[in-house]
Amino acid sequence: MRLKRYEDMNLQDLDVMKEISSIGTSHAATSLSKLLQKEVRITIPEVSILSFDETVDRIGQVEELVAATLVQMSNEVNGLMLFIFKLDLANAVLGKLIGKHYESFEDMDEMDYSALEEIGNIIICSYVNAFTQLVQVEIDLSVPSSTINMLGGILTVPIAEYGYETDKLMYINAEFIMDGERLSDGLLMLPDIQSLNHILGKLGIS
Amino acid sequence: MKFARGSNTVITYALGSCIGITFYDPVIKLGGLLHIMLPSRSDPNDPKVFKYADSGIRETVRKLTAFGLVKSRTVVKIAGGAKMFEMKGNSDFGNIGQRNASMVKKVLMEERFRISAEDTGGTYARTMLLNVENGDVIIRTVGKPEKHL
Repeated sequence: MRLKRYEDMNLQDLDVMKEISSIGTSHAATSLSKLLQKEVRITIPEVSILSFDETVDRIGQVEELVAATLVQMSNEVNGLMLFIFKLDLANAVLGKLIGKHYESFEDMDEMDYSALEEIGNIIICSYVNAFTQLVQVEIDLSVPSSTINMLGGILTVPIAEYGYETDKLMYINAEFIMDGERLSDGLLMLPDIQSLNHILGKLGIS
Repeated sequence: MKFARGSNTVITYALGSCIGITFYDPVIKLGGLLHIMLPSRSDPNDPKVFKYADSGIRETVRKLTAFGLVKSRTVVKIAGGAKMFEMKGNSDFGNIGQRNASMVKKVLMEERFRISAEDTGGTYARTMLLNVENGDVIIRTVGKPEKHL
């Protein structure tokens, strides 16, 4: 294995991941646009390998309440996909879908949670679908699991899951643009190290 | 690991599956707060001792003892170890919180500490604070009043 940890990725590796992510996130934006029946644009994503603290700082505050959807990947690529909704994105989506607006995640009910979970799942699935076609790998996805919790607590899940391999996270940040408003989202793709080597190998850069 | 003496508050934010462990010696008002992420250090050359329950607790105790902490009068409290996501069809996923909690308890027992209060498990993140002035431990969670351990 060429890479032992996420932080071993060189500029070329990151560039390739960025290319693929940009196609993945645009598929995600298209799905979201179809679902909401409105124009959704997306900025070109940046792919960064960050520590836990850096990831928290990029997304928000450590104790900030966010919603997150988690899906497990298996088959040729093993790992986790995590999508984080901050309140602005959640409101934009729920506003369009069920006509509701909230001051806090705490005011939401089961129905809102499940709508967010579905949307998180759709974003992750369309991203991964584009990814599998491009890289020519088979990836199976689990059913989604969601939570509304402190951002810091949520991000410890992948850190703990891969804690024996790496302390870093692969953070893909692109911003959805709806009605001229930039909405922050956080997508984390976290293949285990063996899978990351497999992906880069498939793309001919091993 | 953070520690303070006399006055001040040590704090660790948003414990998910991680565990916060407070050590407090009321006589000399010395307090330490350790935040562990995983149960055991499998690679003895791994320099991040405080990341693991086994090496973290031992190193914290060693440090605090050097500052005068006496085991027999030390008050130990723990919090965290939540299961943040429930994976349908894969109940093992995210059990790390529970494994952390049992490892922390095991190591504390081996080191001859008694846990005087705990707030572990559940599905929510916690922020843990230790007031070194009076040994008060506060747990902050979303949507609930502050809890004194």
